[in-house]
Amino acid sequence: MSVTINLTHPRSNRIRILESLIFLLLFGLLWIQPVFAQTKSISGKVIDLDTGQPVLGVNIFVKGTTNGTSSGEGGQYTLSGVSTGNILTFSILGYASQEITVGAQQTINVSLQSSTNSIEEMVVVGYGRQKKRNLTGSVVSVGSEEIDKTALQDPISILQGRAAGVQVTSNSGAPGGEMTIRVRGNSSLNSGNNPLFVVDGIPIESNSISSLNGSENFGLNPLADLNPTDIASIEVLKDAASTAIYGSRAANGVVMITTKRGAAGKPEVTMNVTTGLSELSRKLSVLNATQYRQLILDSYTNLGTTEEPYFTIIDSLNPMNNGDVDWQEELMRTAAQYKVDFAVRGGNQNTKYAWSSSYLDQDGVILNSNYKRITSRLNVDFNISDKLTVGQSVSFTNGTNNRINAGGVGNLSVIRELLVRPPIMSMYLPDGSLNGYSLGRRNPVGIALYATHLNKSNRLIGSQYVEYAILPELKFRSNLNFDYISMKEDEFMPSILDYREGYNTGAVRSSGNLTWGNESYFSYNKTVDQVHNFGALLGLSFQKWRFDRTGLDGMFFPSDDIRTLNAAGVISNQGINVASEHAMLSYFGRFSYDYQSKYLAEFNLRADGSSRFGRDQRFGYFPSASVGWRFSEESGLDGLGFLDDGKLRFSAGMTGNEAIGDYTSQGEFSLGSNYLDFSGAAPTVMPNAGLTWETTTQYNAGLDMAFLANRLSLTVDLYLKNTKDLLYNVPIPNTTGFNYITQNIGTIQNRGAEFLVTSKNLVGKFGWNSNLNISLNRNKVTSLPENLLTNGYIQNGNFHILQEGLPIGVFYGWEFDGVYARDEDNVNGVTHGALGPVFEGGDPIWRDLNGDNIINQDDRQIIGYAEPKFFGGISNDFSYKNFSLNVFFQFSYGNEIYSEINHQRNSVVRYNNLSTDALSRWREQGDITNFPKPVRDDPKQSDSRVQSRWVEDGSYIKLKNVNLRYSFAPDLVKRIGLYRLDAFVTASNLITWTKYTGFDPDVNSYSGLRVGVDEGSYPQSRTFIFGLNIGL
Amino acid sequence: MKKISIRVLGCALLLAFGSCSDSLLDKDPISSFSANGFYKSASDAQAGVYGIYNSVQSTFRLNFAYWGEGRADAVQTNHAGDPFMLKQNGLTSIMTSSRWDNLYVMISRANYAIKYIPTVFEGDDSSLRNQLLGQSRALRALAYFYAVRVWGDVPLILEPYESINQELFVSVTNQETILNQIEEDLIFASANCAASYGGERNRVLITKGAADALLTQLYMWRKDYAKAIESADRVVGNSLYSLVSMSNWNDIFSAGLSNESIFEVGYNEVQTNALRVLYAIGSDSDYFPSESFRNSFEDGDLRKTKIYDITQAQPRKIWKFFGEGFNDESADPSANNIVLVRLADIMLLKAEAHANLNQADEALTLLNTIRRRAGLDALDAQSATALYGDLVSAILHERSIELCFEGHRWFDLVRTGRAIQVMGPINGLSDVRNLVWPLHEDAINRNPSLSQNEFYR
Repeated sequence: MSVTINLTHPRSNRIRILESLIFLLLFGLLWIQPVFAQTKSISGKVIDLDTGQPVLGVNIFVKGTTNGTSSGEGGQYTLSGVSTGNILTFSILGYASQEITVGAQQTINVSLQSSTNSIEEMVVVGYGRQKKRNLTGSVVSVGSEEIDKTALQDPISILQGRAAGVQVTSNSGAPGGEMTIRVRGNSSLNSGNNPLFVVDGIPIESNSISSLNGSENFGLNPLADLNPTDIASIEVLKDAASTAIYGSRAANGVVMITTKRGAAGKPEVTMNVTTGLSELSRKLSVLNATQYRQLILDSYTNLGTTEEPYFTIIDSLNPMNNGDVDWQEELMRTAAQYKVDFAVRGGNQNTKYAWSSSYLDQDGVILNSNYKRITSRLNVDFNISDKLTVGQSVSFTNGTNNRINAGGVGNLSVIRELLVRPPIMSMYLPDGSLNGYSLGRRNPVGIALYATHLNKSNRLIGSQYVEYAILPELKFRSNLNFDYISMKEDEFMPSILDYREGYNTGAVRSSGNLTWGNESYFSYNKTVDQVHNFGALLGLSFQKWRFDRTGLDGMFFPSDDIRTLNAAGVISNQGINVASEHAMLSYFGRFSYDYQSKYLAEFNLRADGSSRFGRDQRFGYFPSASVGWRFSEESGLDGLGFLDDGKLRFSAGMTGNEAIGDYTSQGEFSLGSNYLDFSGAAPTVMPNAGLTWETTTQYNAGLDMAFLANRLSLTVDLYLKNTKDLLYNVPIPNTTGFNYITQNIGTIQNRGAEFLVTSKNLVGKFGWNSNLNISLNRNKVTSLPENLLTNGYIQNGNFHILQEGLPIGVFYGWEFDGVYARDEDNVNGVTHGALGPVFEGGDPIWRDLNGDNIINQDDRQIIGYAEPKFFGGISNDFSYKNFSLNVFFQFSYGNEIYSEINHQRNSVVRYNNLSTDALSRWREQGDITNFPKPVRDDPKQSDSRVQSRWVEDGSYIKLKNVNLRYSFAPDLVKRIGLYRLDAFVTASNLITWTKYTGFDPDVNSYSGLRVGVDEGSYPQSRTFIFGLNIGL
Repeated sequence: MKKISIRVLGCALLLAFGSCSDSLLDKDPISSFSANGFYKSASDAQAGVYGIYNSVQSTFRLNFAYWGEGRADAVQTNHAGDPFMLKQNGLTSIMTSSRWDNLYVMISRANYAIKYIPTVFEGDDSSLRNQLLGQSRALRALAYFYAVRVWGDVPLILEPYESINQELFVSVTNQETILNQIEEDLIFASANCAASYGGERNRVLITKGAADALLTQLYMWRKDYAKAIESADRVVGNSLYSLVSMSNWNDIFSAGLSNESIFEVGYNEVQTNALRVLYAIGSDSDYFPSESFRNSFEDGDLRKTKIYDITQAQPRKIWKFFGEGFNDESADPSANNIVLVRLADIMLLKAEAHANLNQADEALTLLNTIRRRAGLDALDAQSATALYGDLVSAILHERSIELCFEGHRWFDLVRTGRAIQVMGPINGLSDVRNLVWPLHEDAINRNPSLSQNEFYR
């Protein structure tokens, strides 16, 4: 018996592919040689038209096939299997693509026209790609070249200042900390304002699922699970024409992240190694022990008491309060970080792969905070036949975040404590043990060192697709996608930080968040008579979400050393076991037409059904339409000869927001309302069967122009967004037993303008490119239901109000007009409240708006605006020989910050330490100052009012990033066995110019509607990074 | 190759279209219930009732002192906010204690329970059904009793809110109508609650005895002395309750669950209250004993050193709830139970009822039982009058010492018509319309059918 294997038999091919797949999955490194016969081989060199430098990594394909390669060292390439008459396409991000018909020649050399940031690029749009030249919507794109200059570790920070219309603020400077991202302003009151994040076509989870956030008001950044080095481009879809295809989740914009994929050709092996240091970019001044003691004594005297607090006494009985500690010095450090990543990308005409992994170990500037991340990714594409392509993208991320309690209020907050903790509190007691707890305050150094606040997550994001060309023009594609986050959180507060012997507490949470679904669509593209280009798309999708969380709280662990919950003496809460589900079903379609790229039109429609809404309200319909006119092609406009390109765009459409609780419309009867050890249940959410989407109608007008041989280009967009049926938790009488019902009420408007200018100032030997973007957004609440208003507004948290005609994020409180120098300066005898005490010398002068000589609720007014007048970034790239330099500034102008942290730093509540501003405080009759007298338990509540004293100008310009790079000459590099070697230095947050007196004006301690409040979050750090990019 | 292509394509199409039906969008809550879907079994009914107690914890964790002591003469304060405003009689519509939110959460949860408990039991003779209904109605009565005593006329809501179409903006009901409803609920509870649940549950849940005790308080508020004596007799005769000895007196509060306790709100290390912040932090508590209170003790009263630290020149530390010698600077929450009703309270109320009906002997017997425990001599009608003016005053004085800081003093002053006489010299209280609290501005803002209480307009 003999076994013959026929290599052309489909079955054996199948086995071969299966083997390859397994091999690739296991090792990711295998490179499969082409197995098909060759007709002819073409080779050549690709260079930059302006500089004459070789261009590496250019994708070279035989048009209409998957036969392709990419240019390697020196811009050289070889492509086999080419026949005469074939068309070769040369494309790479940042250059205009070229097509060349193959004749008899064996060598084809190509010069590519650089198009960095110009209108020639391809951009990713919903369910496809499009030439930026033919866009009729508004899309902003950041490419991998930009990303590589930043040395940032998550995709959201990269967008800060680099994408017009996208406002990014830091909730926390902690490694892996959460960011706030807004595309064209806030368009929702209660429900989410986050854009939809789509990675390689998969909508992923972008909200933090962490639950043990200590006293912080925010979690971790789920987008930090993506390694920026893997990213090929980030596109932000802004107007309705671009986003309507994502329907009910698109009202806040869509961020499309595309990862690098393999191209046919020799494998490209790259390795990047970076290492760096971070430090606190600004230290704030506080009182020392002597100054502090005097201040506390003053605050007692000012209350009129003759008592002296025992803790200000310096004697041996009071050792815990005899210190003089600089808490910032004790808690802050110079932090190290290290990252290595490794990638292999390549393939042949049938199999393409991109394999990468990375390891990051990043210390935070606060003692003991640390983030470690391992990422691994495999993207593969297989051509099974001429018509069938299948592929898979899968990425795995393991993150370990050793957090510290940075934000928030109370004696668990490290950041606040490092500023307001009395300097007299000694670090150690005479017996050498830590002074863990005194005067109701926990030692922040103790918290950082000995408390546990650990977050460990594993995340798998993947998608599989099949694409089948039914006809050359008609394709069917189906994606199966999933995103699974598994998170374990541990918290422990040891007894050495408590006053009670043996009192320690611990908690554990385990969470799983699964999103999965399918998207299937037909796409059709046809050109008729070489001038009429038609495109169509028709598809459907479903998506499901499930969230599970289990946990335990415990206390009285016999030892601080064993922190797992099995050791807890008392399980104080075992009722944490929750799950929720959510599903969507959608239909979508697109039709586009253009005439010679001169007249362009596009229509989109999506129908979305969501389980979150009442049965009768489940489906929403989201249409959009857009037109474009390339006037530079018009023969009648010859006078515009200086124009290389000019296009006008208009779009209009509707998008939605479904970001409310999974079961809000059904109401909720929750378990866990326990009484002692008896399990209890209680109604917690009042039902509203009529709930439906928020709908945003957006209009966009855009202009794209390029001049001077495409060296100067300009994009301007104007937009108007009206959002109606806002999902809002409407306060209802508490006599119902409920606080609110979620209802669709009110409207919000955002209008704005975005400008993007790119310029090649110098080309040739010395290169200089500039890029400027500026965004303006004006937000306005246009209507609120009458019955919700109190005195014409809705109080929105402690600091803000919502009022018709005003933006979200106005601060509302009392106007501080200085300090009474003498008792008799209060000539009208103004009192605190109708019956309260009269203001005296040293008390603040509150503006008495209604002139009734009574300072009460009626004397509040708007004291500040959190919305910036404009914001943006300026990037300059210089190149000379082997050197390149990127200098990037980011700015925000006209926004105000309510500095709650400065309030804490300037009031004697809880025996806080104060800023050195307190040295100029009022001390005696006649003192002229702006700093009121400190009064312990002040009956006039001078410190606790929301007041203009804490509103500061938050404008800033920041030298955000400087990147200096040296690329070693190819021949030199070749001698040591490499094909590429770059060395670079990056400095982040180098200098900030601002009047703001807190740590950093780039701050947003709270997410949601509580914008522009600095509650004292983890400060941004100044970072210096050195790195090598190695091509093997 | 083609075959594979078609198979793969077929699978993809199947996946895409096979799973797409509208039922995909039907999602019921998994770890909670939809608002109308909870009450299905007897254990659900039990959980629903414990849910009411859960809101009792939040209602009284701080307010039992603000409402019951803050405006009266035994406490003094240095603290801004509610303590200062209440003590100075400068009540405002933004004070914490002007909020009734928690009381109406109690009422809402009770209304759900009262509506749905009968649906999970067959017939109406199940004892579990009846005692659960009894507890629910007693807790609703407790909430309304506080509401009426604090604000006077308030909205009377007896049905749960389950739809946006129900009347949300309810105006106030005359307090006499509400007091009648409270009486009806408590009589039902007295008839249906279990006499004993066993162990600690007899103190932290509403028993028949607790319902009788609350009825006694209600009748005393309404000056219905005969009925007060009737219900108090049932309490005094209840074998669950007996006075503890003087040496264990602090344990009633610090350890809880004593034989003297009739109903106390249970707390623990996790479900905490504000007792420590209110009374106990040495340097910085909300309240410390007022000078007039400190001077009102008779010589030899054994309770004095148990109530506060008498060694301090300006006494700050109230030891009653934490035990003699308690010394703590922490502002952390406390785990002690809060005793709302205990035997000494009911005995003194009964004594007061007898005194008002000129039954001096019965009154004196009860009064002297309490006095003797405190190491004081027994009083007779003459000495009571000599010391305190009349017998009722003597009993009220005894209440002010025995029950000090437990949240009774202000209500005692109001129901006996002495509030203005006692507090006028201290803080200028002079108008009977001022005896109630203002409605919180938030309540008025949320409900156009409400108007501010007259004195505060």
